[in-house]
Amino acid sequence: MAATPVTTAAPTQEEAARQGEEALERLRSTDAPLYLSPSPELAKDARTASRYLFSSLVPFCSKPPLDSLLADDGFDVEQIWCQIDLLSRPLLSVLRRELNRLERDPPARVPGSALDVGVAGEAAEAEKERAMEDGEGDEEDGDESEGDEEEEEDEEEAEEDEDEGDEEEKEDEEGEAKGNPIEDKFLKIDEFEEFLTKEEEEYGLLERKWNKHKQKVSDKEDEDDDEEEDADDDEEEDDLHLGDFDGDGDEETGIAENARYEDFFGGIKKKGLNKNGIVGKRKRSSNAIDFVDGLESTDMDIEENDDKGQKILSTHEKELKKLHSKIEQMEKANLEPKSWTMQGEVTAAKRPKNSALEVDLDFEHNVRPAPVITEEVTASLEDIIRKRIIEGHFDDVQRAPTLPSKAPKERKELDENKSKKSLAEIYEEEYAQKSGLAPALLTVSDTLKNEASLLFKKLCSKLDALSHFHFAPKPVIEDMSIQVNVPALAMEEIAPVAVSDAAMLAPEEIFQGKGDIKEEAELTKAERKRRRANKKRKFKAEMAKRTPKKAGQNVTPGSTIEKPPGS
Amino acid sequence: MASSEAAASAMEIEKAAASAPAAVLRPQFEALKPHDMSDGKVQFRKVGVPTHRYAPLKRCWMEIYTPIYEQMKIDIRMNLKARKVELKTRADTPDVSNLQKCADFVHAFMLGFDVADALALLRLDDLYVDSFEIKDVKTLRGEHLSRAIGRLSGKGGKTKFAIENSTRTRIVIADTKIHILGSFLNIKVARDSLCSLILGSPAGKVYSKLRAVTARLAEKY
Repeated sequence: MAATPVTTAAPTQEEAARQGEEALERLRSTDAPLYLSPSPELAKDARTASRYLFSSLVPFCSKPPLDSLLADDGFDVEQIWCQIDLLSRPLLSVLRRELNRLERDPPARVPGSALDVGVAGEAAEAEKERAMEDGEGDEEDGDESEGDEEEEEDEEEAEEDEDEGDEEEKEDEEGEAKGNPIEDKFLKIDEFEEFLTKEEEEYGLLERKWNKHKQKVSDKEDEDDDEEEDADDDEEEDDLHLGDFDGDGDEETGIAENARYEDFFGGIKKKGLNKNGIVGKRKRSSNAIDFVDGLESTDMDIEENDDKGQKILSTHEKELKKLHSKIEQMEKANLEPKSWTMQGEVTAAKRPKNSALEVDLDFEHNVRPAPVITEEVTASLEDIIRKRIIEGHFDDVQRAPTLPSKAPKERKELDENKSKKSLAEIYEEEYAQKSGLAPALLTVSDTLKNEASLLFKKLCSKLDALSHFHFAPKPVIEDMSIQVNVPALAMEEIAPVAVSDAAMLAPEEIFQGKGDIKEEAELTKAERKRRRANKKRKFKAEMAKRTPKKAGQNVTPGSTIEKPPGS
Repeated sequence: MASSEAAASAMEIEKAAASAPAAVLRPQFEALKPHDMSDGKVQFRKVGVPTHRYAPLKRCWMEIYTPIYEQMKIDIRMNLKARKVELKTRADTPDVSNLQKCADFVHAFMLGFDVADALALLRLDDLYVDSFEIKDVKTLRGEHLSRAIGRLSGKGGKTKFAIENSTRTRIVIADTKIHILGSFLNIKVARDSLCSLILGSPAGKVYSKLRAVTARLAEKY
């Protein structure tokens, strides 16, 4: 593409024009799907074509910002479009002015002548733009080239619309002025084709614009309906060209819902347009026209109804209505008593039968759920049992062994058999034992004692054998020794293993006092008095002992200062 | 005799008084025999024989007769016509109470005690026989009475023997009459046990009480 600016700038205007037209032709001839995939040839052609168109429009502009479009490879979509926009904006205002002028005093001329009267360049452009229309339909987002094409086509569309608007207006005026149905139809057919292609973009805009144009329409109600409608059409379309192409869905749907029979098949007023025998396209055109008219009429109806304000509501009003109904519903629900699930504590009597089954209740289970007994659980338990049995480790409770604190009491077992000895014999034996004639019978404890002593003797003899019978038992000397109140462990060992506070002396040996010790609180009044009396007595006795000593011994010469007599 | 004796004694006193300067000699008398005490009269005791003890009496006659005649020196004979055992003191009966002891001994036999058991009565003088009836303790009729008697005896007499052995008494349960032979305290203990049994306490409870009591009694001695 670097070569192209050189080639286009250097050759003559005709050469450039020819190239541009060729590019346009190529663009037009390419199949629509080819636009989907990026191709440098198409891009190149698109740039050339836009450059050509730009340059062809330049002469019509009073103050063109650029002489030629800078559409080299370096320039991206935004930049190219800005250039086009810069050029086309003043042009648009110029065209609008022209249109208004034409409206005011429509020249009664043939379309071709009208075109001739019009701007020459416009005609060529219009043709080419119309030709371009075929390729317009399949525009899609994507490439730079395609973006370029879009802008280019938008620009073209804008221009086309303007042209069409002019044409329409002129055609309609001409048709009506002549009263020639064929002419009208022909024009209408063309118009219809264009209108269909534009419908997608403009349809949404129509709805939006209708509210703005209410005033204008109401003003024009008195005038001829056809003219009004056409004019409205033109105006709407004109305005649409100028404005955005964004659709407004709500208005569309609203209007679609409120379309009536009259809108499509016309009332008495609109029949004039549709009377001629129409086949195929013409029918469609009429329908389209009817639709357009219908839309207009619905617009009119809307206006009429709005004046009454009953049947059809705007979207906002409908929303408000819905909201109000919702609010009412909720208020009503709040006033009614709540359902049983929403109340607090509900007994079985207060709720319908079996209603708790339908509701998904959620409450805390304070009980641990029963364990699911599976094969693994039982197997594990059995393993534990087997292991325990093999080990012999049972968790049996073992009784704590009681320490024998004292000798087991001798219990005389009750003999439940008839006594062998008679009563006389029993007393005889008893007497004999008492008197000493017969030896005392050994009791059970005696036998046990005998047995124990016998065993001990045996043990002692064995131990003595260990020490070769060289034992010398200490002689027992009973002598008086002063027992010091020292812990027993200190007496026994030098290094005490454990701390023991066992004293040598027994508590009663330590105790120095007499009789029952009573606390101050336990004393009776008499006892208290007695204590005090004893104390006093003791104190007095002590004082008596001390005072003579003090009096005699503690006086030293010069210690007491004697008053000199006479002072 | 007494008067002469009194006269003699008076005379002796007089003599003594007369011979005041001579040494006073105390008279030495021998102990009076029961025969003499009763002025040479013979004392009798008669013990009736119940029909059910007739045959045992006949069987054990010699065992009864020998200690009474030989050791107690009491004459004993059986009056078949009157069905009584008769006891009579002899001239050489050593003690006054022998007759009574023998009578008690024979009476004990008649109540149902064994000869060997009743013999203790002859030997010891602080043994007694105490008798009471079940109805004295509690009025029982029909089945209850039979059950009470059964409770007293125990299975195979084991309860009775247990009481006998522990308290050193002998018990005879004759239908509704109960006789206990033993020393006074022992009789008391046995009687208490028997009364509790009659009143309905189980044997085990009685045993435990018996054990406690007898242990205490044994400690005393």
